[in-house]
Amino acid sequence: MVLGGTLLFIVGYGTWRTRTAGRTLDGYLLGGRQASWWGIGLSIIATQASAITFLSTPGQAYADGMRFIQFYFGLPVAMVLIAIFAVPIFHRLQVFTAYEYLEGRFDRRTRTLAAVLFLVQRGLSNGLSLYAPALVLSALLGWDISLTVWLIGGLMIAYTVTGGSSAVAVTQQFQVGVIFTGMVVAGYLLVHYLPAGVGFSEAMQVAGHQGKLNLVDFSFDFKDRYNFWSGMTGGLFLALSYFGTDQSQVQRYLAGRSQRESRLGLLMNGLVKVPMQFGILLIGVLLFVFYQFNPAPLTFNRPLLNQVAASPTYAPQLQKLQADQATLSVAQRTATQQLARAYTSHNPEQIAAAQTHRQAVAAAALGLQARAQALFKAAAPTAEAKDTDYVFITFVLHYLPHGLVGLLLAVVLSAAMGSAAGGLNALASTTVVDLYRPAYPRATDSRCVRVSRWATVGWGVLGIGFALFAARLENLIQAVNILGSLFYGAMLGLFMVAFFLPKIQASAAFWATVVAQATVLLLFWQTDIGYLWFNIIGCGLVVGLAWLVQRVVFATSSPRPLSPKE
Amino acid sequence: MHDTMTKTEPTDSTNWRAWYWLVLGALAAEVGFFAYLTHFFA
Repeated sequence: MVLGGTLLFIVGYGTWRTRTAGRTLDGYLLGGRQASWWGIGLSIIATQASAITFLSTPGQAYADGMRFIQFYFGLPVAMVLIAIFAVPIFHRLQVFTAYEYLEGRFDRRTRTLAAVLFLVQRGLSNGLSLYAPALVLSALLGWDISLTVWLIGGLMIAYTVTGGSSAVAVTQQFQVGVIFTGMVVAGYLLVHYLPAGVGFSEAMQVAGHQGKLNLVDFSFDFKDRYNFWSGMTGGLFLALSYFGTDQSQVQRYLAGRSQRESRLGLLMNGLVKVPMQFGILLIGVLLFVFYQFNPAPLTFNRPLLNQVAASPTYAPQLQKLQADQATLSVAQRTATQQLARAYTSHNPEQIAAAQTHRQAVAAAALGLQARAQALFKAAAPTAEAKDTDYVFITFVLHYLPHGLVGLLLAVVLSAAMGSAAGGLNALASTTVVDLYRPAYPRATDSRCVRVSRWATVGWGVLGIGFALFAARLENLIQAVNILGSLFYGAMLGLFMVAFFLPKIQASAAFWATVVAQATVLLLFWQTDIGYLWFNIIGCGLVVGLAWLVQRVVFATSSPRPLSPKE
Repeated sequence: MHDTMTKTEPTDSTNWRAWYWLVLGALAAEVGFFAYLTHFFA
């Protein structure tokens, strides 16, 4: 009831509240440019924090600790830089999309290239945002995942087509409130469910002993995805690209009623994002501690477990492993309780002995996990091997009271739909403003709104198609970030050339972007460089190549003015 | 094509430098706190 009521409320409220938004293109795509700073801030947070954030991030902390937080260290710096450099330019020119600016600065070909790169990247990412909530419902209700993707995608398309940007913004404000409430409730209950005598402090010590509180690592490793340096460089470049050149975010602050509101909205995100991610990762660590005291399944991926259990060949081996797991769970619980008691006693000898015992049990658990993984690989070679995306939702389904299960599922669904709707809205804007209008300059405003609605439907259906393949990806949030990093670097480089290197002309910028993008894709395919570095590599390549090509090939031609009205 | 227009912004007396330092200062404090937690629970 809670779930169904929320879905109906979102669609109904979005439609009713924004029923007049589709009269003009400005109203449909940018809500008439009337948003306040807090509305922009909440909208930016909601667009980035989709269901994937809520489902996948705790799972990541459960398996890998909290080091993922370092990925976000570059974000506040990026917010400041965008507020200083990009916001004034976009606001002064009153553009609909970020790519529109590139035509005035370079030429239409460069604008189209940037728009197409965005459409490819965001079109695919939006599909992943749809897959996440479908995963939840299929695990909970036993629904077919394809059917679930179509159901959620269809609802989201209907609501975005009707209300446009205003509907997206209005519902996102509610969604952020619900997300924060859900996070706090989940965190509180996780601590509340720990055994008597084990409080938050002991839980942190147990997690720390198991290496889960690995928040900051200052050592430098080029192949390491998450350390301080990759966060402050790769993370910074990714955030600069995402918030500075990705239309799904640029559209949020272009809707601001003034430059001041847009800047404050971005800075609000800069202040909130790191603590928010810390909170979500902390839930993952608390989940890890919770499952030290409670039996965890061999895999949280229930469909995979059911598949292996139904196999006549592999079912007996699975039963044997499950029996071993049950025995080990008891040993794990005892060892962890001893460790928690030792921490309370503050006795160094007792702590050392308990840690050694706990370490031995952890080693046995690792061995069992390796055997289980080998079995799953043999029994279902094409199935998703990692189960981190299922960890949080398994806890919600098995341990929370029914009303709260409905509430948390509603949180996940509303977040997913809000985020994907923001992306869809941006895809439609870019399609119409950067591809359709230049091709049909005489198209009226109402025709453009109509085309925007159809573009929303088209991109929505394409996203659904891609979502159906998402089940094979390693980890959802990583998949989204990898996809972003492959395309964002070149895009950021193009905008940096546009903003800061006025002597570089269109052809140099265009060909530098094409070569840099091809090089990044080749490097991703052929090397094992950590994906965050592709943001820097792509950006650096565009800037360097554009400078070189301009000096060597186009050295004699005179520079083009920035824009007739700049 | 949509004609690119320029817009005159109302006078803005906000102390942006203070806002930027607030955001960067908060980040520095957070990194410091996280480094302390990492060291303390290692």
